[in-house]
Amino acid sequence: MASLLQPDRVLYLVHGEKKIRSPLSTLYFCRYCSELRSLECVSHEVDSHYCPSCLENMPSAEAKLKKNRCANCFDCPCCMHTLSTRATNIPAPLPDDPSKTTMKKAYYLACGFCRWTSRDVGMADKSVASGGWQEPDNPHTQRINKLIEYYQQLAQREKLERDRKKLARRRPYMPLAFSEKYGLGTRLQRQRPGAPITSLAGLSLKEGEDQKEINIEPAQALDEVEPLPEDCYTRPINLPEVTSLRQRLLQPDFQPAGASQLHPKHKHLLIKRSLRCRKCEHNLSKPEFNPTSIKFKIQLVAECQVLLTLTNPVENITHVTLVGCEEGDPEDINSTAKVMVPTKELVLAGKDAAADYDELAEPQDFQDDPDVVAFRKSNKIGFFIKVVPQREEDGDVTVSFKIRHDFRNLAAPIRPSEEGDAPTEAIWLTHHVELSLGPIIA
Amino acid sequence: MADPNTKQMSQKSANIAAGAVVCVESEIRGDVTIGPRTVVHPKARIIAEAGPIIIGEGNLIEEQALIINSYPENIMPDTEGVEPKTMTIGINNVFEVGCVSQALKIGDNNVIESKADLGKNVILTSGCIVGACCQVNTCEVIPENTVIYGSNCMRRVQTERPQPQTLQLDFLMKILPNYHHMKKTVKGTSTPVRN
Repeated sequence: MASLLQPDRVLYLVHGEKKIRSPLSTLYFCRYCSELRSLECVSHEVDSHYCPSCLENMPSAEAKLKKNRCANCFDCPCCMHTLSTRATNIPAPLPDDPSKTTMKKAYYLACGFCRWTSRDVGMADKSVASGGWQEPDNPHTQRINKLIEYYQQLAQREKLERDRKKLARRRPYMPLAFSEKYGLGTRLQRQRPGAPITSLAGLSLKEGEDQKEINIEPAQALDEVEPLPEDCYTRPINLPEVTSLRQRLLQPDFQPAGASQLHPKHKHLLIKRSLRCRKCEHNLSKPEFNPTSIKFKIQLVAECQVLLTLTNPVENITHVTLVGCEEGDPEDINSTAKVMVPTKELVLAGKDAAADYDELAEPQDFQDDPDVVAFRKSNKIGFFIKVVPQREEDGDVTVSFKIRHDFRNLAAPIRPSEEGDAPTEAIWLTHHVELSLGPIIA
Repeated sequence: MADPNTKQMSQKSANIAAGAVVCVESEIRGDVTIGPRTVVHPKARIIAEAGPIIIGEGNLIEEQALIINSYPENIMPDTEGVEPKTMTIGINNVFEVGCVSQALKIGDNNVIESKADLGKNVILTSGCIVGACCQVNTCEVIPENTVIYGSNCMRRVQTERPQPQTLQLDFLMKILPNYHHMKKTVKGTSTPVRN
């Protein structure tokens, strides 16, 4: 399938906020709006959190508490691979009889990729396989927490002021609780793209709670700075000991300069996201809740609905007309060749999964003009187009044209139709397609 | 296989010590000495073109590994005055599947992972680990306990040497003769077990 091996050869134009050209395999099709959607014109929402190594699901509240980190798994501070726990037998004296020694299991963390072990940074072996490993504490945690509380309170106060002003202007009878409960969280008040997202605003105090006055001391500026060590310029550098920038910045609390202070951090969680059409607010893609499952509850991919070149994915007979782009077409910016497409309407049979196995099937009875149609096989058709390259330079030949086909919306919402006509009506959809044919051979 | 041919030439023959387990399907060409307790898997290739190869004890050479003592690129094989250089490999090394080693001097307890590529001018000391698919073709001596890993061949020093694969070696020395024919050892009195 060309869509798997050479994805960029055929590009479809998506009419969204921006005009985006991308291959069909990356597009979604909203069947309520009957339009193509690309990843940039849908809204992405977080569905669930999971750890990529232990595949454990984590509810969002717990994820926020743990700062989006898994409780059991660690990352190697050297190469960011997942650490595995290894066991050794060490002789340890029995508690009853100090003279005898028995073999006890000791666990340490080791990386299979760069061979880093927890013994490299001086972390002692633990006697339990999991749960014994702690991340070192940040000495500034207390100050940071106090600052966060103070600013949360400030944000809360400012929001109250803003709401009071708005309500005083418009609806004086609306209770004050309304704006707080229905604050950020519903789609109506969703953050617009570009506005700064304040994570503090979500954590608001409940109504009725006493608001303590929190005072913070401003940070004090010091005149004296710790001087550099005297042998800073003369000491030879021990290269294996110096941490790389990436290793340093992955631990923003400490940012150690020496590799012997690189402690492992808990593994970051990944998310499953769901996509939603911005115009009609219907879900285009919703993944399964279980982290081990890669299927989707809802997946409206464009390849299932929109015509691929030459192949008809739906089960009805489809009529396709190809129209060349006219001169001065505003969407036709990339083509370097003129194309003459067949003017007649092409008819594609429906997709029939059992047709391959049914030997007694009647042959399809379409009268094909041999100049236009090269071959026809079940739901595929090959047709001729003439291409005249416009430029002589060695570039890729790109042609663009419009495909116009009929589409039956099988899953349209049930509306009581006044005319009582057939439930599936055909809609004519037009797509602008760009086809990259490859370089010119002299 | 190559055995009757190699025995005709005077110097060039495989010298397999007693206790080594060398499968018949492996290709050993030239003057190669293999120490005791070394295991050479089938389809491994040890080719001594430009000089002899001496392999120590306790090494593990896996399938499709290629240890080759080849001529330098700009010298034709027939020019005179070229002294044969000996390739020395120490003890307890592991050459994993598909690796290529042309290094002339390899110490002890090294691990050369799958599809790694060592050039002619590299010298491995002890305890080094050359990661999978890493190409090391610089002209240098790799210090002890170095780990070379990643697509950019990052390096770091580890605190522990890799452990010698004694368990694996014992297992292979028991199991391999059950499924493969072995090459005859030159020294020692006992013939290897055959099916």
